[in-house]
Amino acid sequence: MTLWFLRGLRRGVVTTRYPARPDGSAADLPTPPVFRADALDSELADRLVAMCPSHALRRDADMLVFDVGACTACGRCQEAGGSAAAPSGEFELAATSREHLVKRIPLSREAPR
Amino acid sequence: MTTSSTGAHGEQATADLLRQRIASQFARSLHIRTLDTGSCAACEQEIRLLAAPHYDLHRLGFFFTPAPRHADLLMVTGPMIRAFDVAARKTYDAMPGPKIVVATGACALGGVYQPDAFVHGSVGDILPVDVWLPGCPPSPLALLQGLLVAVDRLAEKVSSRSFTADVKPGEVRR
Repeated sequence: MTLWFLRGLRRGVVTTRYPARPDGSAADLPTPPVFRADALDSELADRLVAMCPSHALRRDADMLVFDVGACTACGRCQEAGGSAAAPSGEFELAATSREHLVKRIPLSREAPR
Repeated sequence: MTTSSTGAHGEQATADLLRQRIASQFARSLHIRTLDTGSCAACEQEIRLLAAPHYDLHRLGFFFTPAPRHADLLMVTGPMIRAFDVAARKTYDAMPGPKIVVATGACALGGVYQPDAFVHGSVGDILPVDVWLPGCPPSPLALLQGLLVAVDRLAEKVSSRSFTADVKPGEVRR
């Protein structure tokens, strides 16, 4: 214990402010998806809404509404969505308002008839 | 006399100022009480890790306390089961003001359980929530960021993120 105390005194810095540098382990965390609007059509959006187990996705007219707060980062939409969804790498998700966590993603293509 | 819109704007500005002053009060010393309202305990595991040497919560002046009477911040996990209504209210009421409530994890934010006869589905239905902290479970780093946002030592990031991107599949966006 004394050795660690002396080591801290010698180096001058015992602790750091958050975040002093990116944490390497953060890259391995499961994170909510980001969606590619140009790869999302209404048919795919409906499929993703139906398979989301935590009700984080819903349709609102020509928008896909993504509730980041409800997302459990299970990855099912990323598996099923192909190029339309990918891990965001975002884990600093705290919000001071619940509405800040609700994202609206426009659907740019219509489903082929 | 102000118009209603100016009045609402003024109220918002006053609320923001008050929030900042309360947060600055807690910036260097904060006592945290955790409250499990039906969690699967994954959030509790991550919260426990905050006290481990790698994250070392104490260096920031944050401490866990077993008594709500000594707590400044209530960290609520779980989907808020209805059987816990009275206990949650009593815990909140026992805390001295000013106090902060952090809803922790996807369950507490209304993600996993829909409201039914057994659960409210969201902590916000029972307690006034100040900070919403997503994740299933939120990692200790995410928890740390949430606590620092709660005391105004870090700015909120998520409101500026759109969660849309032109990235190749599998590519992680930074």
